[in-house]
Amino acid sequence: MDDLYLILATLTFLGGFILAAVSLRSEGPGRQGLNIPIAVVGLIFQCLFLQERGELHGRCPITNGAEVLVFVSWSIVIMYLALGKAFRLSLLGVFSMPMVFLFQLIAIVYLHFADPGPRPPVSLDPWLELHAAMSLLAYGAYGLAGVAGVMYFFQDRQLKSHHPGRLFYSMPPIRYLADALVRLLVIGSVLLTIGIVAAFFMKVVPSVSHLVISGAVWLVYVLLLSIHSAKRLPPKRLSLSSIVAFAFALLTLSFL
Amino acid sequence: MSIFCLGVNHKTAPVEIRERLAFAEKAVPHHLTEICGIGNISEAVVLSTCNRVEIYGGSPDPAAALDKLVDYLEGHFSVAPGEVEFYRHEAEAAAQHLFEVTSGLDSMVLGETEIFGQVKSAYATALSAGTTARKMNKLFQQSFTVGKLVRTSTRIQQGSTSVGSAAVDLAEKIFGQLDGCRVMIIGAGEMSRTTAQSLLSRGAKSIIVSNRSFDKAEELAAELKGRAVRFDDWESCLDEVDIIVSSTSAPHAVVKHEMINRVMAGRRGHSLFLIDIAVPRDIEDEVNTIDNVYLYNIDQLQQIASEGKTRREKQIAVCRGVIEEFLKEKGIEALAGLPEGRSGGASERNQPEPSSRPLTNP
Repeated sequence: MDDLYLILATLTFLGGFILAAVSLRSEGPGRQGLNIPIAVVGLIFQCLFLQERGELHGRCPITNGAEVLVFVSWSIVIMYLALGKAFRLSLLGVFSMPMVFLFQLIAIVYLHFADPGPRPPVSLDPWLELHAAMSLLAYGAYGLAGVAGVMYFFQDRQLKSHHPGRLFYSMPPIRYLADALVRLLVIGSVLLTIGIVAAFFMKVVPSVSHLVISGAVWLVYVLLLSIHSAKRLPPKRLSLSSIVAFAFALLTLSFL
Repeated sequence: MSIFCLGVNHKTAPVEIRERLAFAEKAVPHHLTEICGIGNISEAVVLSTCNRVEIYGGSPDPAAALDKLVDYLEGHFSVAPGEVEFYRHEAEAAAQHLFEVTSGLDSMVLGETEIFGQVKSAYATALSAGTTARKMNKLFQQSFTVGKLVRTSTRIQQGSTSVGSAAVDLAEKIFGQLDGCRVMIIGAGEMSRTTAQSLLSRGAKSIIVSNRSFDKAEELAAELKGRAVRFDDWESCLDEVDIIVSSTSAPHAVVKHEMINRVMAGRRGHSLFLIDIAVPRDIEDEVNTIDNVYLYNIDQLQQIASEGKTRREKQIAVCRGVIEEFLKEKGIEALAGLPEGRSGGASERNQPEPSSRPLTNP
């Protein structure tokens, strides 16, 4: 049943993206109001998948790469639903849907061919659960910051080209994108800090590689924010940095 | 009883005719009362703006009412018989015309919103003059619903249609709300004034004006409630502004790449928007290569305005589709089913229908 929920969630995000893309390109009425309901439907399927997997393992379902990818996707959707409206960035959802689709597609393929099955915990540890949940929520915020960075590049290119296309008028102002990007980086770093602090209270001491990798991701983002705070990085450079940093963070997931 | 519309607009009559037919605002209630006394016209609303003069009404015999209305206009507005070709619409065509007018489809600037307020005001005048009854009340309330529907469900308002609006729209795509934006005008020409006024109307503040003739700069600064600076000093104010509008008559570039490069170093990542409406151009083209700097010249703004117009024109069919669907679903049949405006007596006039009431159950 869990794989069905994951497939439905993935199809929902793919459908949402296609609908938004067609709507943005068409001459007809816009359908941007559907972004949030579609994201909510996708989120419900994600939750059902994670619940089933959680029951299977008897703990937070982040026992393999596929589950981690779904958890990160879930975090991205949660962050968008929680912050998209506040940051006046309704299109953030549309731009993040392809990434969510891709992550979940990889997860579907992985689980189909190499599902490692149930991995019950040796002993339940709330600090471990907190560490995992906060860290992956941080990845969601970083993922959304990366998406905001891509949107900034797109809008900057449109403005510089002097030939703004149809999408230009539906996109948010670049100042809002730059502001949202910084806020998402801050939110992500706060969450990751909580996650890392929680790791020190865990019953089982994490492996050195786990600590080094988590610390490296945390350090990259904290350094980025520190440099920005001290020198006010130009938004374009900050956007590029947030995209590269998220790519690095994703890469580290494969080593965890 | 059927509804009708008679009128002229910017497409059918030149300004010389429209200005003769224009109703003086204060005289509209008097004219409305007179129109309701013509033949069997039982209800009337006059819409008189700079681009149109239209009379909407209800009568059991609209064809005869329209003929008498033409005689009335020719008699009262110094128009020779047959000099003006009025357009006439009856029943559904009249409703469709009003819906298109309210939606801005019949406006000189497609999709503009001012007409919506003008139609509302015309209806309010007729309502207080007591010349509306069920048909006009329903028709105009429907037109407001359609006007909003068209604007929210289509892209008729998307894109700029003039150089000024293109500049302002671009500024909003860079800065978002212009509330905190500071503007500098170099060269106190007419185009600068218009662009600055557009920016001010969207919330921009603290305008700095610089011009070779300081008197002119002071004059424009006073008009825009800004500050004038001498032409030799404008460079020192570059750090203070977010938007620069340049339109001097200098034969060479006034704003140079090195200048902006230096200014950007101190702006801590904040964008700068430069609008060059001078010919020959005032701002070096290379300025656009600097990060966070967006430079637009007059040709580029005109191109955007032209594309915006084309985009809006393409939306006409979509908007008409919305109107037709509305009319098909709950439009003219509901109006046709309403009781006679006058048969209900004077007390029935002047009572607007609640807009929430279902149109199919009048």
